[in-house]
Amino acid sequence: MSQNKIDIKKFQSLIALLLLCIVLGLMTDKFFTAENGLNVLRQVAVNICIATGMTLIVLTAGIDLSVGSVLALCGAVTAGLFKNGLEFPSSDLFVGFTMLGAILAGLLLGALIGWINGFSITKFNVPPFVATLAMLTIARGFTMLYTKGHPISNLGKDFANIGSGTFIEIPVPVWLAIVVVIIAVVVTQKTRLGRYIYAIGGNEQAAKLSGINIKKVKLIVYSLAGSLAALGGIIVTARLDSAQPNAGISYELDAIAAVVIGGTSLSGGKGSVRGTVLGAIIIGVLNNGLVLLNVSPFWQQVVKGAVILLAVIIDKLGEKKE
Amino acid sequence: MNKYIKYILLLLAVVLVAYKSVYFEKLSERKSNNTAIAFDATAFSKKLWLQQFPVKLDNAVALPVLMEAINKSSTTAFTQYTNALAVGNYRYALVKLDAVVTSVKEDEVLINVQAGDSVLQASLATEFIYGNSIRDASGLVQVKDYPNTSDLNSISEALNKIVRSEVLPSFKSAVKKGNTVNAVAAVELNKEHIHWQGLEFIPLRISIKQ
Repeated sequence: MSQNKIDIKKFQSLIALLLLCIVLGLMTDKFFTAENGLNVLRQVAVNICIATGMTLIVLTAGIDLSVGSVLALCGAVTAGLFKNGLEFPSSDLFVGFTMLGAILAGLLLGALIGWINGFSITKFNVPPFVATLAMLTIARGFTMLYTKGHPISNLGKDFANIGSGTFIEIPVPVWLAIVVVIIAVVVTQKTRLGRYIYAIGGNEQAAKLSGINIKKVKLIVYSLAGSLAALGGIIVTARLDSAQPNAGISYELDAIAAVVIGGTSLSGGKGSVRGTVLGAIIIGVLNNGLVLLNVSPFWQQVVKGAVILLAVIIDKLGEKKE
Repeated sequence: MNKYIKYILLLLAVVLVAYKSVYFEKLSERKSNNTAIAFDATAFSKKLWLQQFPVKLDNAVALPVLMEAINKSSTTAFTQYTNALAVGNYRYALVKLDAVVTSVKEDEVLINVQAGDSVLQASLATEFIYGNSIRDASGLVQVKDYPNTSDLNSISEALNKIVRSEVLPSFKSAVKKGNTVNAVAAVELNKEHIHWQGLEFIPLRISIKQ
């Protein structure tokens, strides 16, 4: 009996997704088309990347509110380096970046920002909420400074392909999201780092006493989340063929929503990347369905918020029963 | 030994990635190359203003004619008399108008425009000349000719500056309430929601009747 209950809980996100798809399929004939399916996947790919990093953080009982701003900053820096390079007038030197170089620089910057988040949390015991809230503002400010408030556009066909190209009929961002998810699942399920992440989230004190280097694990986790937010930024920039200084606003909320809907506990230690992927797809399908049904954008926000609240309530009720 | 091989392989990988990631040039050489092909929006707009705008202004449609055409068949009239670079409901036109000044304010001049049997209350912008109205209304600039959006924006910026500095100062210093003015102006129209009252005109050629 107890085993049955656990099984249902395990599959509740999947059941919710299937129910949502069936309802939307009945309400609009445009929903179950290959084109729409690929469109939904393309749209959720960015959130999957960000939410995967967020899952790792939430599993350690942390949170990262800065991912939207990190996405914007890293997207802008990648675009800026690729298009304009770096100028050193005093040395009469111009350093140009190939596409690979600009992307690597963007990912490294994301990792560095994540590391700074982790450092202020572990070194100075700043609550993750506050540390990353501060970084949200700092990164957005740097984005505005770097871009001077203007978009960086016309990055070329090759770069645009990262966001809008396809490989075997599947959009490139979807492939990138698949790679990210596979790596994250392997890390969380099959490696020592993954076990440490769950252990820290489950009981940080016990994990510390058992010899786990908590600071190091948290630094790695926040750095990974930063670089995944940067990857999201590169995809968004490539898709628009333009780095927008106001990109990624409120993306952190979609990422947290995906994590929560996917069944990861905000108090840490429980959840999975697979659940988060389902959570991200549920949000994507919900967004898509509401658009297809011509629901006002204002109501869309209300519905999305209500779904997140419902998911948390169901999760809490489940925890109480257990 | 294994450890050293590992480090050497790692170093080689880093060097290879770096080699494929960055390249170096002399900044001065690069700048001189770029200057030769850089788009000079100010010079381009000045040339446009002096050589092509006069013809466009001479051939601008009279406001009452435009109003009648739109009332008769808006699709045809908007296609014939207006232009726009962006997709959307906003269209831009160059129009000739006669008006009586009803008030002179710091940043605009309020006017009454006689259009057929009706009198339109409108304004002439005299201080804040922003946006793409002038560029788009002229129909002289096409999106396909400019792969770089910032070049397109620079043209608008330069044209707005020309109007601010060359057209408006003499008018602003001379205009008084009760004057009758003749103008050719750029105007923005929403093709889905046409409101003739309260339009703002940007004067590109304007004179006060003595």
